[in-house]
Amino acid sequence: MAYQFDWSVLWTGQSGFWLLQGLFTTLRLSALAWLLAAGLGIVSGALRTVAFKPLAALAALYVESFRNVPLLVWMFFWYFAVPPALPGPVQDWLYGHGIEFLAGMFALGVYHGARFSEIIRGGIQSIPKTQFEAALSTGLTTAQTYRLVILPITLRLIIPPATNESLNLLKNSSVALTISVAELTFQTRQIEAYTAKAFEALTAGTLIYLVLCLTIAAIMARVERRVAIPGMIARVSPAEH
Amino acid sequence: MKAMIRLVGALAPILAFTALAHAETTLEKVSRTGVLTIGTRTGSPPFAFINKQNEWVGFSIDLVEQAIGPVVAQKLGKSIKVEKKESTPQTRIPLLTSNAVDLIAGTMTDTRSRRESVDFSLTFFVTGAQFLVKKGSPIKGIKNIAGKRVAAQQGSTNARIIRETVPKAVLREFPDQPTAFQALAKGQVDAYTNDGIQLAGLKAKAPNPNEWLIVGDFYSYEPYGMAMRKNESDFRHLVNVGLMQAIESGKYFELYEKWFGSKGEVPYPITAENKRFLQMQVVPK
Repeated sequence: MAYQFDWSVLWTGQSGFWLLQGLFTTLRLSALAWLLAAGLGIVSGALRTVAFKPLAALAALYVESFRNVPLLVWMFFWYFAVPPALPGPVQDWLYGHGIEFLAGMFALGVYHGARFSEIIRGGIQSIPKTQFEAALSTGLTTAQTYRLVILPITLRLIIPPATNESLNLLKNSSVALTISVAELTFQTRQIEAYTAKAFEALTAGTLIYLVLCLTIAAIMARVERRVAIPGMIARVSPAEH
Repeated sequence: MKAMIRLVGALAPILAFTALAHAETTLEKVSRTGVLTIGTRTGSPPFAFINKQNEWVGFSIDLVEQAIGPVVAQKLGKSIKVEKKESTPQTRIPLLTSNAVDLIAGTMTDTRSRRESVDFSLTFFVTGAQFLVKKGSPIKGIKNIAGKRVAAQQGSTNARIIRETVPKAVLREFPDQPTAFQALAKGQVDAYTNDGIQLAGLKAKAPNPNEWLIVGDFYSYEPYGMAMRKNESDFRHLVNVGLMQAIESGKYFELYEKWFGSKGEVPYPITAENKRFLQMQVVPK
């Protein structure tokens, strides 16, 4: 092949430092966006199953409008369209304090919140109706039923799809580079810009994402085993990985 | 482990195929396919952009189609077609090395570190970096940008210089020109830095060109060259001959007038110094 690989570009100069910086930004962005997504997802996912129609409709509106528009468009929306709509002093503060990061966080969090919402709804709907009735008959209010009985079970049930979605969120954080957030993919491009060695930089980025995702998946698999409710979630044999 | 072996087995033919594909030189490839594929831009007027009639045109594209293409065709003894592909600062070197394109003809600055990965033609345009600001901005040049938010194009030489010479400037890097300009127009950044000629192109295309000012002396030297795969001196020679013939015959200056003249897309008169520089690159027949 005409291309000559030179892996030393990854540890000479500032490349290593940039990759670490990018990794740190990716983790911070993903973690904050994940918290937002989980919060929005749980609330809207639960609301979609309640009997009070206006609330269910509101949650449905949120889900359908955010999950059916590309993430890239939401990035531009939170970065270009939202700040000018805010009052002047807030705008100035934002521009001086990393508007890019915040816009990226909201774009990711709100978008994935809509997708988490569907996972939660699926989880809730998989719980037999008798559980609700039993909880209500003990004297719990509807809110208490959700908070104390239904959601704790749901959250245990949905760990596999939620892990999947969380990994998607982590990888999608790279879209934030379009609004100038210096995350991991951005930094691999930076290395390319300085060294003109694109394949090496991309390989390094790919490996870092891979290791991150595998680590998260492994942790979630452990959590899944630890919090499984005996008798409720069928396990034919002990999980083997 | 078995799955791993199967995976490698599946990949091997692909790798072997790419290795074979790379054995061919650029001239052989162009001769076999009858197509010269160039990597160019869609949003860098007037070098390469989509015009109002939805045609992909520009100065760099004209140079390939009217100056370099004929020389290559003559050498191969057959007519060739020029095909265009979009290439960005991040993708252009991989596109070249993977054989997806044969020549980068856009707005690529020739630099020493890039020459470690690709070869360049002679310089076909000279410019330098400046700033685009809203009228009335306090920014007058690189001396005033400390503490200010400055947009730059990701992967450009300008971003690198700002980072190294004015670390106090808050640098924001965008993947393409339209997004960076959008950030400037919305007030997300105080200035946008790029090569002077690119800013002139952007300003000319803006909804209200009079709202914008290009400020500052050139703080960098940006010689544009056409990039190609390394160690292909036959092809490189033809590209250079094409450019030299165009400069010698005056074709280059005709095209320059077409795009940068007073009636051109981006009026930007050529300086006597630049004209002389171009002519001095032409070696005798």
